[in-house]
Amino acid sequence: KSQKLVATYPQKGNIQDINHRVWVLQGQTLIAVPRKQHTVSVTVTFIACQHQETLEKDRGNPIYLGLKEPELCLFCTKVEEQPTLQLKEQKIMDLYKEPQPVKPFLFYHNQSGRNSTFESVVFPGWFIAVSSEGGFPVILTQELGRANIADFELTIQS
Amino acid sequence: VWSLLLCGLSIALPAFVRADVCKVISMPNETTSVDGPFAFNCTYPPLTSGEVNITWYKNSSRIPISKHSESRIHQDQTWILFLPFALEDTGIYQCVIEGRNSCHRIHLNLSVHKKYWCNGSRNGLLNLSEEYKQILHVGDDGSLTCHLIFPESCVFDLIKWYKDCEEIKGERFTPLRAMLTVNNVSVEDGGNYACKARLKHMGKTYTVLNGITVNTTERTGYGGNIPKIIYPKNNSIEVLPGSTLIVDCKIIDMRDNTNLRCWKVRNTLVNDYYNESGRVREGIEDPVRFREHISYTVNITFLEVKMEDYDLPFMCHAGVSTAYIILKLPVPDFRAYLIGGLLALTVVAVSVVWLYNVFKIDVVLWYRSAFYSPETMEDGKLYDAYVLYPKPHQESQSHAVDTLVLKILPEVLERQCGYKLFIFGRDEFPGQAVADVIYENTRLCRRLIVILVPESPGFGLLKNMSEEQIAVYNALIQDGIKVILIELGKIDNYTAMPESIQYIRQKHG
Repeated sequence: KSQKLVATYPQKGNIQDINHRVWVLQGQTLIAVPRKQHTVSVTVTFIACQHQETLEKDRGNPIYLGLKEPELCLFCTKVEEQPTLQLKEQKIMDLYKEPQPVKPFLFYHNQSGRNSTFESVVFPGWFIAVSSEGGFPVILTQELGRANIADFELTIQS
Repeated sequence: VWSLLLCGLSIALPAFVRADVCKVISMPNETTSVDGPFAFNCTYPPLTSGEVNITWYKNSSRIPISKHSESRIHQDQTWILFLPFALEDTGIYQCVIEGRNSCHRIHLNLSVHKKYWCNGSRNGLLNLSEEYKQILHVGDDGSLTCHLIFPESCVFDLIKWYKDCEEIKGERFTPLRAMLTVNNVSVEDGGNYACKARLKHMGKTYTVLNGITVNTTERTGYGGNIPKIIYPKNNSIEVLPGSTLIVDCKIIDMRDNTNLRCWKVRNTLVNDYYNESGRVREGIEDPVRFREHISYTVNITFLEVKMEDYDLPFMCHAGVSTAYIILKLPVPDFRAYLIGGLLALTVVAVSVVWLYNVFKIDVVLWYRSAFYSPETMEDGKLYDAYVLYPKPHQESQSHAVDTLVLKILPEVLERQCGYKLFIFGRDEFPGQAVADVIYENTRLCRRLIVILVPESPGFGLLKNMSEEQIAVYNALIQDGIKVILIELGKIDNYTAMPESIQYIRQKHG
């Protein structure tokens, strides 16, 4: 039974937006900063959800998305009626092992060429984006455009 | 005096208390170049998202940074702005964020680095470590960004782009706002870039210079986002029940994919479907990275193949792609079986023929004894032959005839060959009328055997016997049964025979 699960580790990668900004953890918030030599960007962890039957088929790959260090996971929840992106102390592999999809932690990863978007499964139409306001936090928004950039490049680490 | 002191304390205290209550947050060190404009925004989401008061201080000074926009160093909204930054400005700056029920103090260490800009002694920019790092993908269209992070009061125009101290020109490069688009990127596009922007603030102009180190990557994605399953190919696999089977699913996918790869049966993950027994399970994914793509091997293991596994598609999934295997019972090798079968058949046929040749008679006899009933056959006949023989007066001849008819014929024809004979004097029932016996029994016989004895006075007996007449009459006229003549000794003169016998002899030879 110990071999029941297929994957033992999530995949690791880096995310940057089309403006060459990378994700950095500031307190409990992800922000996007221009990449410099000594920038310590986060390593993201991700793994495809095993139980995709109940999820929409054409929106992208449902994945759990987290940070390697510290071990946090991105999840979506309503704060004062507003869907928001938060980080929670959560082992990504525990989510993966759940017999049902844990929707607040799931994102549809849609790839088009190099560009990736991450759409909330629990709030369809809401995307992970870098806000151009107030220190470029990584937020959840349904208003895409120049103010909120939702196109990222996901690079998987070897 | 005491009251004055207390009064003074009560005024001073809130400031100290506030300072102690504020939570200290350290920011990563920042460096900038001397004589260039520099700005830093005091943001710390979500602390700074609501309504907060933000105040900048230098070092541990209690005097806030000026908010006069004419000052070389001043606070602009949440920003601290240096126009320009001077060597003596290095040090620790603090930004105090006061909310309704919270207070945070952000520490920022500012230092300078010297920036060389194509001025004779050094070609290019020295302090690369503090420059921006950006990537272009060979073969694609890309863009570089000139990061100009300043408050809204600063307006930029005239952004120029340089590579290795040369201003960039050419069809492939298009400046667009703070970006430079690069079409059809080649390896040669890597190198040291700089963007120079003119900053206007309160009627004064400054120059912002950003160095950008550009690396190129030659990695192009695997053609298309659809994973390719190399194996299985919707094929069947012959396997014996009870055996162990491992099948690899081989997949090629683009490098940066998030596709799920798994084995399913009846649209359920095999690990879930066989959760209880664990008899069939999926192996651990084994990725091999190539420059442009990744290949994966995901196996499925049947610890013991069971009958229920046959004719059921086991599906390998890789994103939207699928391919299956179907287990089949092994089909016997047709050619081997055909050759073997023919050989066996030939051997059997040859032995049958040989055995038949050797035991032909025994077989026929056995057959007769087993299946021929003594009852009348289909043709209604009870006997195979009626034996008609003379009864010579001469002792020697009589003995010979009796020996033939009563001993030899029954011995050979009846005992050995299985025929059934009617021999007058042996088989009739006592008391029957002779004529009736002959008449009826010749009709129950298939053949008539006539024993002829060489001319003798005794032969005349046959000639005159009613037995002979009736039998021959039946044979020739009524039933047309076959007549077999047996000559006992050489007969010289046939004219002495009855005409009917002569006719038979003439006819049959």
